Amino acid sequence: MESFLARFRHITVLLLLLMAQLLLLAYQVKTNQEVRLIRIWAVTAVTPLARAVESVSVYWNNVFTTLVRQREVLSENERLKGEVSKLRIENQYLQGELATADRAKVLLAFAQTIPSKTKAARIIGSGTGSNARVVYVDRGSADGIARNMAVVTSKGIVGKVASAYPTASLVTLVTQQGFVAGVVSQVSRVQAILRGTGSDLCTLDYVRNPFALQDKEWLYTSGEDRVFPKGFPVGQVRVTKKSNTEFEFKVQPVALDHLEEVLIVVEGIHGAIPDPAPAPSQEVVILPPPPPAPASAEAPAAGAEGFGSTDADRLREKYRKLGEAQGHTYGGSPGRPPDFNKAVPSAQPKPASAAPGKPEEGKPPAAPKEPAPVKP
Amino acid sequence: MRQPDPPYHQDSAYSMPPIPRDEGALPSIKIVVFQYVMAAAFIFLVSGYWTLQIQNEQIYNEKAVRNEIRALPIPAPRGKILDRDGRVIVGNLASYRLLLSRDNLREDHIIPIATGLNLDPKEFAERLRRYRSLPSYQPMFIKDELTTAEFTFVEANRDNDALPELELISSQRRVYPQDGVGAHLLGYVSEINDAELNTPEWARHNPGDEIGKAGIERYYNDALTGVDGERQVRVDNRGNARAELGIKEAVPGKDLMLTVDLDLQIVAELSMEGRNGAVVALDPRTGEVLALVSRPSYDPNHFVGRIDPSEWNKLLTDPDKPLFNRALQAQLAPGSTFKPIMALAALETGVIDENFTVTCTGGATWYGRPFKCHKRGGHGTVNLYKAIAQSCDVFFYAVGNKLGIDNIAKYAEMAGFGHKTGIDLPQEKEGVVPSTQWKMRLFREKWFAGETISVAIGQGALTVTPLQLAYAIGGIATGGVWMKPHLVKESAALAPARKANLNIDHVNQVIQGMWGVVNDYGTATAARLPGLDLCGKTGTAQLASNELLKQRKDLKDNAWFVGFAPKQAPEIVVAVLYEGGLHGNLAAPIARDVIKAYFDKKARRNPRAPEQPASVASMAPLPKVGAAQRP
Repeated sequence: MESFLARFRHITVLLLLLMAQLLLLAYQVKTNQEVRLIRIWAVTAVTPLARAVESVSVYWNNVFTTLVRQREVLSENERLKGEVSKLRIENQYLQGELATADRAKVLLAFAQTIPSKTKAARIIGSGTGSNARVVYVDRGSADGIARNMAVVTSKGIVGKVASAYPTASLVTLVTQQGFVAGVVSQVSRVQAILRGTGSDLCTLDYVRNPFALQDKEWLYTSGEDRVFPKGFPVGQVRVTKKSNTEFEFKVQPVALDHLEEVLIVVEGIHGAIPDPAPAPSQEVVILPPPPPAPASAEAPAAGAEGFGSTDADRLREKYRKLGEAQGHTYGGSPGRPPDFNKAVPSAQPKPASAAPGKPEEGKPPAAPKEPAPVKP
Repeated sequence: MRQPDPPYHQDSAYSMPPIPRDEGALPSIKIVVFQYVMAAAFIFLVSGYWTLQIQNEQIYNEKAVRNEIRALPIPAPRGKILDRDGRVIVGNLASYRLLLSRDNLREDHIIPIATGLNLDPKEFAERLRRYRSLPSYQPMFIKDELTTAEFTFVEANRDNDALPELELISSQRRVYPQDGVGAHLLGYVSEINDAELNTPEWARHNPGDEIGKAGIERYYNDALTGVDGERQVRVDNRGNARAELGIKEAVPGKDLMLTVDLDLQIVAELSMEGRNGAVVALDPRTGEVLALVSRPSYDPNHFVGRIDPSEWNKLLTDPDKPLFNRALQAQLAPGSTFKPIMALAALETGVIDENFTVTCTGGATWYGRPFKCHKRGGHGTVNLYKAIAQSCDVFFYAVGNKLGIDNIAKYAEMAGFGHKTGIDLPQEKEGVVPSTQWKMRLFREKWFAGETISVAIGQGALTVTPLQLAYAIGGIATGGVWMKPHLVKESAALAPARKANLNIDHVNQVIQGMWGVVNDYGTATAARLPGLDLCGKTGTAQLASNELLKQRKDLKDNAWFVGFAPKQAPEIVVAVLYEGGLHGNLAAPIARDVIKAYFDKKARRNPRAPEQPASVASMAPLPKVGAAQRP
């Protein structure tokens, strides 16, 4: 059998196919279907493949479209970002211009309030080196700028012209090491010398009366340096007491922040130092001064010189007081000569009774008295 | 077209072909010109090199060294002036001295510097001219005492961008007592001027140096002046000091301890306030000057550095002449303070004795001319004691007439009048002691006896200084020993005492009369000091004749007083001149206060010592004051 099938294999297959065809035709006639089976079979066989192909096609189509669109979006994004940046810069510029205009307006208004003749200038650069406290301004000798002219803003002093070139000038700032200006305090009118230290703070030297200078007191130019006209603000002084007689004075220059436009004083005229605002009335209670040291019968010996006076001056004051205390006119007649061995009375009235706890002879010790109220 | 160059290694026998003419090459004439230009430039450079490095090498080398090394002077502090107790009368104060570096001075900086320092630009330029004779590296002194404003100006502008010529160095400024206390005694220092620079005395000084110009400051200038030091610093090309190379310390001047007692000086100054005149207090035992005052005075502090021209003019034009040292230079008639010398002369020459009396009726006529006594009603019968105590003019007219002018002159000169005392102060005057020779020498005229009468009461041509008066009476008080007045102890060693062989009885008679002046109805009872034997003599000296005085009401009599204490062993003698004081008894309280200050201080220092001298016990009771006291 096997050999038979092997011998007639092709015909057998054909016969089987024909048989199957006949059966299928019979089935189609029997079921009365409009669509032929072959078609159904073909469609059924092809549809999954077509669906798969379509899916792949759609997928890749989508992928491609997405890629293209993404590129466009990215490009658009870049463009928009650039535009935003541009707008921001433009905004900043306009804000800067507005601020410049405001500052210029302030500077112009300030220039009109001061008696000195000034020229406005713009900072165009700073000095090289980390410690250099110098700036360049866009005005030079062609504009009438000369060395040693004061540079100020409405806030206060900035520095002075160190060198004047034809179109620009080099300005030394007040904080530059070695910079010096004469200053006077607003309230106590203490005079001193402001000295740049190379840092952000300046110091005060040669303070005439360091005890009078108050912390946070405003300093103004004194005009004595012949560079800065009198009356420009400098800054507030910070007083640190190092000992009873030693003080440290630091000053933060007030006009060096956000320095962009300045005024160069081409013709200085001294102004006035504004009076401080009146402090609110506050009653202050102060203690009476301590009792003076007992006056020595003899003037101090050599070596105890005072500031600007000699022993002769002190002795003369002593004898003058002695004469006054005894109602004596020196060289006058008539009148008893003074007793030069009497102690010079002190300025303070002596207490009527002996010190508490030290009874006078024959008297009980006096009870300590309450201190009399002191009128402010 | 050019042929390619053959490679050199191809053939060693290859010879270079001739250089083809290039149309772009320079013509030979241009090359020649170029060569000559280069040669000229080279010669120019070589000549410059020659000048710099060889010809003027030394000059430029010195300049370079000077530019690199700067010598800054260290002014030597001047010696202090102390009183006898070591108290500072004249001291020094730390200060700044402003110098001008002339090496790098720019002409256009002269006016800004002068303006900033409140100097006259012309005067400033003139001072610069004076310095031209000195090497340019030697800085010019500008100012010693800077005001706050000037100091600020200098500090603010002495940087390299403004006025780098300004140089501030530490210095010591002279400080004198205020309000002219002791000004004539102490003198002052000031910048040397052109005239002084040309004198041998100041030849070793340079322009800008401060020298003593008056008083002690001048007399002891060499001792007080130290030797300046020097600080050498290396400077950069902008003149900034970079390193200190060496220092030669200044040698301070010597401190000078005076004989002056500041307590007495001050009391004398206070007593003369508002008055014109002088006070001189001496220790007659040693000649030490205890106080020396001249009023009106001036403030020597104004002279330190350079005095302000307006201040100088003010001093010069002041009618009271504050610069005039009345203690040494006022040559005035001593009035009745001369009477003790007259009395001594009369006793010593024997023209009178202790019993000699004169009847004073208020005046007398001598040589046809009436001479009045200050007491119109007269003193009645007057002996020597009363004549001195009550200052009877008529008595001394008679004594003078007996003595004659030459005897008067002899004893006046013996007492020290007519000669400088030799005090260690400059510009002392000698006064005038008239005599027959003096008149002949000066006026080529004979002396008239009538002139002697005026001299006998301290008028006429006789003039003395307050210092001479204190010196003279001090010598009599010590029995005829005159110690040279001096202000510095060391200076006395050179001057031996001047002695006169006086009869001690005669001296005592005169002293007793002077005791009566103060203590026994005399003319100076206002000067009496209870518990102290103070002797004295008043004097009222006319400035002109009676006729002239009637016309010139402003010419008021000068009041004098000279006194010493204690009577037995004088320790202090005080002469007072009170210009325009009218009466001698108004000058007496000034001396009284000074003497009181002296003895009070002595008691303070030696509390156990008896306050009253031995002679106090024999003192007469205090007389009632009420009698006419015009001397």
